Amino acid sequence: MTTTTALPPARTAPLPTASRPRPGAFARVAAAEWIKFRTLRSTVWTLLATVVLMVGVSVLAAWGTAVEAVDAGGGPMNAAQLLSAGYQLAQLAVAVLAVLTITGEYSTGMIRSTFAAVPRRVPVLAAKALVLSAVVLVVTVVSMALSYVATVPFHDELDVRFDLTDAETLRMTLGLPLYLVAIALLAFGIGALLRHSAGALTAVIALLLVVENVLLLVPMRAIEVVAPFLPSTAGRRVLFDDDLVATIDAATSAAHLTPWQGYGVLVTWAVALLALAAVLLRRRDA
Amino acid sequence: MIEAQGLTKRYGSTTAVDRMSFTVRPGRVTGFLGPNGAGKSTTMRMIVGLDHPSGGSVTVNGRRYAAHPAPLHEVGVLLDAKAVHTGRSARSHLRAMAATAGIGCARVDEVIELTGLGPVADRRIGGFSLGMGQRLGIAAALLGDPETLILDEPVNGLDPEGVLWVRTLARHLAAQGRTVFLSSHLMSEMALTADHIIVVGRGRVLADAPVAEVVAGGHTSTVRVRSPFSDDLVAMLSRTGASVTPTGPDTLEVRGRTAAEVGDTAAAAGVPIHELTPVERSLEDAYLQLTADEVEYHTTAIDQQTAGASAPMTEGALR
Repeated sequence: MTTTTALPPARTAPLPTASRPRPGAFARVAAAEWIKFRTLRSTVWTLLATVVLMVGVSVLAAWGTAVEAVDAGGGPMNAAQLLSAGYQLAQLAVAVLAVLTITGEYSTGMIRSTFAAVPRRVPVLAAKALVLSAVVLVVTVVSMALSYVATVPFHDELDVRFDLTDAETLRMTLGLPLYLVAIALLAFGIGALLRHSAGALTAVIALLLVVENVLLLVPMRAIEVVAPFLPSTAGRRVLFDDDLVATIDAATSAAHLTPWQGYGVLVTWAVALLALAAVLLRRRDA
Repeated sequence: MIEAQGLTKRYGSTTAVDRMSFTVRPGRVTGFLGPNGAGKSTTMRMIVGLDHPSGGSVTVNGRRYAAHPAPLHEVGVLLDAKAVHTGRSARSHLRAMAATAGIGCARVDEVIELTGLGPVADRRIGGFSLGMGQRLGIAAALLGDPETLILDEPVNGLDPEGVLWVRTLARHLAAQGRTVFLSSHLMSEMALTADHIIVVGRGRVLADAPVAEVVAGGHTSTVRVRSPFSDDLVAMLSRTGASVTPTGPDTLEVRGRTAAEVGDTAAAAGVPIHELTPVERSLEDAYLQLTADEVEYHTTAIDQQTAGASAPMTEGALR
């Protein structure tokens, strides 16, 4: 590499003397986090994978249902159901992205530069959560639009209806981006608490894929009572149509949450984990 | 200006930094010198609020680091070259850092030029050599045109040209009236770069003085004497109040007397002398002597006398 003997000129500007954070301080931290987010190839790839997964599963679901419908002669289909068909895979992609957003800084040592630049630390956590939420929201909405377009060839055959004035359809449609944002924040909170990529990824995937699904099968009263309040079990009700919600409720004598109550439980988990992460963030050495 | 008052950091039963108090003043390069494990990096991390002190306090320009609204404008920090995300390009890293203080892309390009990173600025940091990583860290430290610079081992991994560049840069920044605080375990580097040094060992400040004073180190003058009748000389010189230490079968170290005085004493008694050498201590000797008891990881048991005053003369280490 080339070397240089260039020297910086003497400072020209007087030192800033304000003691309070100037207005816009958070906006600057958010701008920095946005630069960090979009300048990593891994985030770009993860987002592309999320879109492909969501659209792909929607198309597969439409195709599969179309084949079945010909045999069974089913009735009209709600488009919202098609659009959210890929939520289980999408939530994994989004959770991985969310975890790496924060643990990637710890594993590389970047966090020391980050906190040296923003020694109050909590604005960093908030800015990262904001950038992550906005990106997941946009990516989900784009994926849903693409899913809709990509499944058009099956719409006639499936008698697909998409009526956003219908409360159930509106809830399911809004539910997917909201659900994925909440899952992202939950995973981000776990990442911020554990600070290690491998540990946090294992914890999040185990929670989403294993713990909740296994607990649903355990016929113990205590677990049955708790199960409906687990984050994903509660939150994903917002994605289901009223029939499915009723079917699930019929299978258990534990609490019956409405879809929005269920979503509220998921958000509560995410907020609680983030609050705990914020407290520890200030206390721990970086 | 950096002021530490009784700064302490404990990890369980280990005390990494033990009631350190010192002041780093503007307008000069202050070296922070100590063996590995002496607490230099921990102290620097506490200065910039990354580690929380177990006791005491430290301020930068009169205020806790975390209380500065835009710390990059006040303090430039190079903690270690690895405090970056390896997946990002150097330019993106600097832009993200700059954004936190509202610093624009023009300044980012400026520090890239200044540190000679131009040709590699758009490559991923993961492929950087240690030297390029150091330059990137220094570029980040300079972003906000800060009044105070804190550089932890800035010459680590740099080629000779890079070392010279850092030395010139540090002196230049100090000459502009800025506070420059840099750590090293390389005494020779400190002798050339620093005006003032703070020597630490096992978390304590061992010396805090101008370089010249640390070298003189309280032992006003040391004279090495060789004589077949060294035992007689010990008795004679001790009577005159000099401090005499036998360092071999026929060699002595005399403190508190000049070579001329020692020679005159011997001549008056008719004792033959085979060698009479004033020992100029280098910063290295001073440092080794100061830290002899304080090194955390001994390679072998060090004979303190050998490690101290009678180490080979390295005149000219202080140019």
